[in-house]
Amino acid sequence: MGPQDVGLTEAEYEAVCERLGRAPNPLELGLFGALWSEHCSYKSSKSALATLPQRGPAVVAGPGGNAGVVRLWDDWLLAFKVESHNHPSYVEPVQGAATGVGGIIRDVVAMGARPIALMDSLRFGPEPASERLLDGVVEGVGNYGNSIGVPTVGGEVYFGAGYAGNPLVNVLCAGLVREASLMSSAGARSGSRVYLVGQPTGRDGIHGASLLASQDFSEHPEAVESMRPTVQVGDPFTGKRLMEATLAAIATGWVQAVQDLGAAGLTSASAEVAYRSHCGMELDLDRVPLREASMTPYEIMLSETQERMLLVVPEAGAAVVADAVRRWDLELIPVGRVVDEDILRLRWHGAVVAEVAASALAGGCPVRTVPEDARWPRPAPALALEEPAFQPEWLPQVLAHPDVRDREYIYRRYDWMIQTRTVWGPDHDVAVLCLHEAPVGVTLALSGPGRWAAADAWAGGAGAVARAIGAVLLQDSEPLGLTDGINCGNPNRPAVWREFLDLVGGIRDAATAFAVPVTGGNVSFHNETEGRAIWPTAVIGAVGRHDHPTRPWPDRVPEAGWRLVLVNPPTVPGLGGSVWAYMRGNLGAYPRPDLTVIPQRLRRLRALLARLPEGAFCVRTVGDGGLAAALVKMLGPEGPGAAIALEPQALVGRLFSEVAGQALVAIRPGAWRAFQAGAEAAAVAYLELGETWPDPVLSLQAGTQGWSWSLAALWAAYRSRVQAPRPSHS
Amino acid sequence: MSTEAVAVITFPGSNCDDDTVMALGRLGVPVVRRWYRDRDLGEARRVVLPGGFSYGDYLRSGALAARAPIMDAVEDGVATGRLTVLGICNGFQILCERGLLPGALRPNRDGRFRCTWEWVRVATAPLHWPEFRPGTRFRLPIAHREGAFTLPRAELDRLWQEGAVFLQYCGPDGAVGDEYNPNGSMDQVAGICRGRVMGLMPHPERAVAAYLGSEDGLRFLRAWLASEGE
Repeated sequence: MGPQDVGLTEAEYEAVCERLGRAPNPLELGLFGALWSEHCSYKSSKSALATLPQRGPAVVAGPGGNAGVVRLWDDWLLAFKVESHNHPSYVEPVQGAATGVGGIIRDVVAMGARPIALMDSLRFGPEPASERLLDGVVEGVGNYGNSIGVPTVGGEVYFGAGYAGNPLVNVLCAGLVREASLMSSAGARSGSRVYLVGQPTGRDGIHGASLLASQDFSEHPEAVESMRPTVQVGDPFTGKRLMEATLAAIATGWVQAVQDLGAAGLTSASAEVAYRSHCGMELDLDRVPLREASMTPYEIMLSETQERMLLVVPEAGAAVVADAVRRWDLELIPVGRVVDEDILRLRWHGAVVAEVAASALAGGCPVRTVPEDARWPRPAPALALEEPAFQPEWLPQVLAHPDVRDREYIYRRYDWMIQTRTVWGPDHDVAVLCLHEAPVGVTLALSGPGRWAAADAWAGGAGAVARAIGAVLLQDSEPLGLTDGINCGNPNRPAVWREFLDLVGGIRDAATAFAVPVTGGNVSFHNETEGRAIWPTAVIGAVGRHDHPTRPWPDRVPEAGWRLVLVNPPTVPGLGGSVWAYMRGNLGAYPRPDLTVIPQRLRRLRALLARLPEGAFCVRTVGDGGLAAALVKMLGPEGPGAAIALEPQALVGRLFSEVAGQALVAIRPGAWRAFQAGAEAAAVAYLELGETWPDPVLSLQAGTQGWSWSLAALWAAYRSRVQAPRPSHS
Repeated sequence: MSTEAVAVITFPGSNCDDDTVMALGRLGVPVVRRWYRDRDLGEARRVVLPGGFSYGDYLRSGALAARAPIMDAVEDGVATGRLTVLGICNGFQILCERGLLPGALRPNRDGRFRCTWEWVRVATAPLHWPEFRPGTRFRLPIAHREGAFTLPRAELDRLWQEGAVFLQYCGPDGAVGDEYNPNGSMDQVAGICRGRVMGLMPHPERAVAAYLGSEDGLRFLRAWLASEGE
């Protein structure tokens, strides 16, 4: 077996030999192959990610752990992270997506937190070819989340040719934990015992991290077919019991460290705990419960069998913890102990079969540095789009576009209301959860259209951050932290590497401008097939604290006579990256968000609205489909309708531009003066659009020209993919 | 409404047990939690089987849970007439699997999980619950993959005659028709009641506040708690 068999380069192999002072044996080589894989080591991305702002007043735990943690209220903390499961979901959509959900839930549980929400961010190739894949992925996400009892409270889905062979499945999980129960992988102390809880280890998922997640796909279907055994199978029932058992174990107060067994299985879990706890670990692999008795140490260490957790408990607490675990029909299996030296020592029936420094495995992989000239974005590409004369059919077409249309066809297959916290679910732009545990709520946004990053990754990264934070702010919530799911092609190709750096640069600059830290995330490379990469895609999750979660700021206008305004109207309403441009077949480049002004403008708008009487306004951020889509969604299917008037110049841009920072606000007539005065005092710029009227009709006047649409027709377009016809029962 | 304690049973895959306990708590009812391995229900004379995926449900929903030790105690309590039972979603499936309610919950007609708000109406007044008047409507969520109530036609006709067809899916105005049938249930059946045993697929424990979408679940649970003839 050579280095290439475990995914290592010659140079990396030499580095391994240097760290060991000898050549590794085949088992040791396997350990390095797994932990030095792109998926586990972040070797290509680590230096760039280190440039993201990571500190903030709310941050309790930043990047590096199983999930980021922010302070929500008093000693209640929120652990949250987004993670990808892209490659497995292409190979085996139902199980790939399900295990992705299971994996991120275990990450949050490993922090000691009870998961309270999931969100999913999906990317597929164009329809109809992608329909079966979407169906499988949605089935998988639903299977796991619905069964384990964690609501999927929102998400997003986009389509693009680059995703055809490389669908993306990114899942965000958020969980609640009291400060005293906060766990990490860093608390293991010498002399304590190492335990496994959960599924017996099987031969599933071996080399999932090194060979599946860290390599491009080949075009040949048989190659994808041959990858199938590297995908794991999820068992949400065991996942549920493992979640409860782990939280019960932590509640005993005896657990020093927790680590879930995810990518690279026991290898990663043991090395991470040892490395982060500044100690070592000895494992007796013959004590690991197996599904197949004939498994070798190599297979045991690299298996990615799902629903397994590693716990470190001192001898004195073992009985109490075992009782807590046993209630859930699981066993606390001793497999080793923590030692006071930097070592991962593996034994097999008493004989040492591998012995390597934990720090070499978990922290020793040579990382790629960021070149100095890549710290600033390249100039924005000049890809001007021509603006043709407005065509009235564009409005229903944009609303029916797969990137805009109602996603109920997806989210009604998710249980989005279990745990009875979901005040706003997936039928809104953000999720709002009330808590039973504390007098505040949580606002969650997830965002990151690849269209925006297609021609200019910096703009896409910055745009995704601005949009997610903007959505949180305009739900009257204080943004506490961000999590980033970064998805790119093969980083060894210079063009992809540069796209990645620009994408991270955009996230960094926007997060810095908003002063909201990034507390963790995930990088998925090698999303490419035969040299064709996906659009660089940053899935940004934003979490915020909501002080009145049971009374969210409404996003639907209730009656006629309300004034409609576009706040922060861009001087140049660029169409690059928009759904409209995509629909027309020439995407152009997404206009770079002006980070010098957007954060302040959105915060000022929030402050202005907060001073208006409750029920005097409703608000929506402008996103996919631009002002036009936001307007139709704000009016609702039954109305009221609206009469709006716009300048004939740049009419198409005004309607369909997705430039960051825009918000649509409707003001009750009685509050109009207060809004005007407040806007003037706070220098909030807005454009008056018109007002709502009783007719369920949207009318648009631009100079001498006018158009009108019935809301019923516009909503039929918006909901075109919602309702599969119900076959009648026979 | 009796303030006597209500038992809520947790199976290892139950996931609506906490919501159920909280909903009953909102109504001021004392709750005792029971574990599926327990062999008795203590003093409780009312019991709720909450929703979830009791044993993973890879076989049929509720099939394994129906054989759990606690279910012997439930069956005994029903047989002696001292126990009032409510099965919600998976709890309904368990009651059917155990034979405490007739019929079966088959996969939804599109084969998919479905989580949506639906309207249901009381089709027939259940004998022991005066507050469930015929025609009373509730807006409640459903969340299930196997919710299509099914049994041979003649037996369903007999249930109608017995007055056991308790709840039906309906439109916002109470109209009953297949366009309001979310899962393919025969006769749009959403819930069944026989004697002191009631089961339904919708989740009243989730509809406990206007800001969560509806308060009708509290109204439903209050009516269930107001059973008579103990």
